[in-house]
Amino acid sequence: MQVIRLPQARIAVLVGERKGQESLKGDLIRRIKMLEYALKQERAKFHRLKFGCDPPSMNDIKPPTDETGISNEVAPDLEVPFSSVSNITWRQGRQLLRQYLQEIGYTDTIIDVRSNRVRSLLGLNNNSEQDENNSPSINGNENNKRASESQGRRTPAKKSQTGVAELMILDSEAAVLANFEFLGPPDVEMSDEDDLAEGLDIPLDADDCAVKTSKRKTKGIKSDDVDAEAEEVLNELNLLTEAEDTNTSSNKIEDSDWTKSLGYPNSNDTTRRPLISGNDEDVDSSLGLGELAQLTVGNEAETTYDVSNSKEAYRRTWNAKYTLRSHFDGVRALAFHPQEPVLITASEDHTLKLWNLQKTVLTKKSAGLDVEPLYTFRAHTGPVLCLTMSTNGEHCYSGGLDGAIHCWNLPNWNIDPYDSYDPAVLRSTLDGHTDAVWGLSVNHTGGHLVSCSADGYVKLWSPQSKVQYLNTFGSESEGIPASVDFVREVNEQIVVAYNDKVSRCVIYDIETTKSLVRLETNEISFMIGRFINKVVSHPTLPITITAHEDRHIRFWDNRTGNLMHSMVAHLEPVTSLAIDAHGLYLLSGSHDCSIRLWNLDNRTCEQEITAHRKKFDESIFDVAFHPSRPYIASAGADAVAKVFV
Amino acid sequence: MGLEQIEKPPTVSTPENMKMAADGSQVSLTRRNKPGTKAKDYCRWPDEPFEEMDSTLAVQQYIQQLIKNDPSNIDLILTNPETHDEGVWKYEHLRQFCMELNGLAVRLQSQCFPATCTQMTATEQWIFLCAAHKTPKECPAIDYTRHTLDGAACLLNSYKYFPSRVVIKESSVAKLGSVCRRVYRIFSHAYFHHRAIFDEFETKTFLCLRFTRFVLKYALMSTENLIVPIPKSGDDSIIATSGESEA
Repeated sequence: MQVIRLPQARIAVLVGERKGQESLKGDLIRRIKMLEYALKQERAKFHRLKFGCDPPSMNDIKPPTDETGISNEVAPDLEVPFSSVSNITWRQGRQLLRQYLQEIGYTDTIIDVRSNRVRSLLGLNNNSEQDENNSPSINGNENNKRASESQGRRTPAKKSQTGVAELMILDSEAAVLANFEFLGPPDVEMSDEDDLAEGLDIPLDADDCAVKTSKRKTKGIKSDDVDAEAEEVLNELNLLTEAEDTNTSSNKIEDSDWTKSLGYPNSNDTTRRPLISGNDEDVDSSLGLGELAQLTVGNEAETTYDVSNSKEAYRRTWNAKYTLRSHFDGVRALAFHPQEPVLITASEDHTLKLWNLQKTVLTKKSAGLDVEPLYTFRAHTGPVLCLTMSTNGEHCYSGGLDGAIHCWNLPNWNIDPYDSYDPAVLRSTLDGHTDAVWGLSVNHTGGHLVSCSADGYVKLWSPQSKVQYLNTFGSESEGIPASVDFVREVNEQIVVAYNDKVSRCVIYDIETTKSLVRLETNEISFMIGRFINKVVSHPTLPITITAHEDRHIRFWDNRTGNLMHSMVAHLEPVTSLAIDAHGLYLLSGSHDCSIRLWNLDNRTCEQEITAHRKKFDESIFDVAFHPSRPYIASAGADAVAKVFV
Repeated sequence: MGLEQIEKPPTVSTPENMKMAADGSQVSLTRRNKPGTKAKDYCRWPDEPFEEMDSTLAVQQYIQQLIKNDPSNIDLILTNPETHDEGVWKYEHLRQFCMELNGLAVRLQSQCFPATCTQMTATEQWIFLCAAHKTPKECPAIDYTRHTLDGAACLLNSYKYFPSRVVIKESSVAKLGSVCRRVYRIFSHAYFHHRAIFDEFETKTFLCLRFTRFVLKYALMSTENLIVPIPKSGDDSIIATSGESEA
């Protein structure tokens, strides 16, 4: 008996495995259909817009307003602990989705063929599923788009039940939207933000999710609800509104076929359940991430990232392309031009250099994509420590160990590198600091410049005005400021990182010079010795991010001053931070010679690049995102700057 | 849990942790200029013995360390610490000279105008043509200065000739001489036409003196080209004679 039993057990195991795989396959098929659906929606919308007849519901679409709704959501959201398991499954899911997208190839014919096939597979319509579709937890994006087509038809009462299906939709839709941005004109990509936030709000509640799950379980097997939804959508699109009654019966048959083919025996609830719970986790994580991820949709420039992104693999991989070597000593800072593929580097060799990435000089002097500098800015009498570029790209500002802040007119980036010396390039010098200037930042709206110095003071300037000096902030009791940034979300505030016995950031109002918030933990002792090297402000959210000598990156809530999150980010001190213009990615540089790219949604490291060599115990001094083009850059103690694409 | 991949580094690298702890208790052990460092404390860390420098930039570190300690102790600065690759040693010194010459160029920018110094001259004997252009050109002195330094920066950082800072081809070492000859003209122009600037700069940096000793020690320039008189030095008669002949 035992001899026989063992194989049986093995068979059972194998059958179980097979079922698991099939259910996975089924899940993926459903996701594909969701993608197809979303593509259809996009195409329909694009078509409508192209031909100028805006359906009434389209008027709701607002340009993205980054602050509203989302800002409140994210703060609690960031506290949500993500399980690594869900992250992994979610990532795998996304990766597979993208692979499928690649396979699909985004071409019209293929999509059409596939949708026809799916439709023929699925039969025509299903009333119960349609009800679920109408449930309010579908995010606003979806509702708006769909309403435009199906308002008249949506007579059945909305069920309160919010199925897992919708959550899965949210998940896949986030992915879809990320991928599909390029399909539609960017200005209409983003639908009503508030709706979106509300839509996400519901599933964010943990209790709510639990309820849904249990409902889901009691409800039994609906392996096809997403399928059905996709199918329903296809029906909508094809205006097959007639004969709903007859369709129902035929559809039931299709349902069971579909179920069988996907390997979900109707009687076996348990095999199904793991998948559901897995999906729930997926959804949970995607909701945590999804919010910010969906924000991308409205961002025009982000599209440039994602176009290439979606065409490449699962996520964008940055590769070193340009090596900027011409400095004799460590490159302390770099700044990109706001529009052009142009950047400036500031070095300990007392100079700044201007580089045009489109002018890769393939002379006898260089090989490959070495770039030669176009202009050398000379005025500092010591190492140049910090650098920032004005928003219009016409000026840049540099601060040095000599205590001077120089304001430069940017020479034309097609200049002859060996042109004659034009003293007017040095526009003016801001005198006021009595020691090394370590931090500079410009305000995107007011044209203000803020500087911080080892003399203990932070100064506000209006470099384009006749009276350049405006205000001084801080007192000696705070310590020495190491880094400074404008609070991007508010604009009339600055955040300064002070290091004394205790390291902390202080937010000041630039008009009154009063300190508004101190970013610190309740336990003041916590920040003893946690030297802050760099502070940056999130471009749209009330979040401040700090880079620390103790290898951590910390996230702070500007409103409450509380520590939101703290993570070990590098093997050695984190020296530099940069956030992309849309607040989705964080770039960090460290003396461990690497730069790391972080997804701000879930604060996981997406890529690590070893970029520079060490000089003494220093390696990387600065990192930067191009504000509008897909470039990132790092500056190193090895006198080299690198640009990655 | 979600931060699994982030939390890994500290657990994996215990030696790193120990190093950090040591750093925390004794700050001077890490040679870093942290943001907020005062100018007087910049690079003010205990010397690191050359043998312990494991960086690929060890030679630069060592040279800068010597200069920081005493820029006037030229003999020590020019003493190759061991039987180190002489090409690298010369190369790194020349990089350092060009870098420090920026300081002289900045000072010249405030006084040396194209209207007054229309040509790159030192004594009346020579007019130097700027080699940065396709056809050498009579650039004004300030442009010559800037172009020469920019060109030197490009050449010395050229991947073709100097792909490594650890090993340098003999053919590339040959390039150093021409760089020396060109940048030396900046010293000579400053000396003969902007003496106040030159003296102020030289008192502080001893750069021209160090440069002269350097090119003589490694025979990168001939004596007759070294026209700036430099102080006599008992242990180096060549310099003394060169100084006298031009004085």
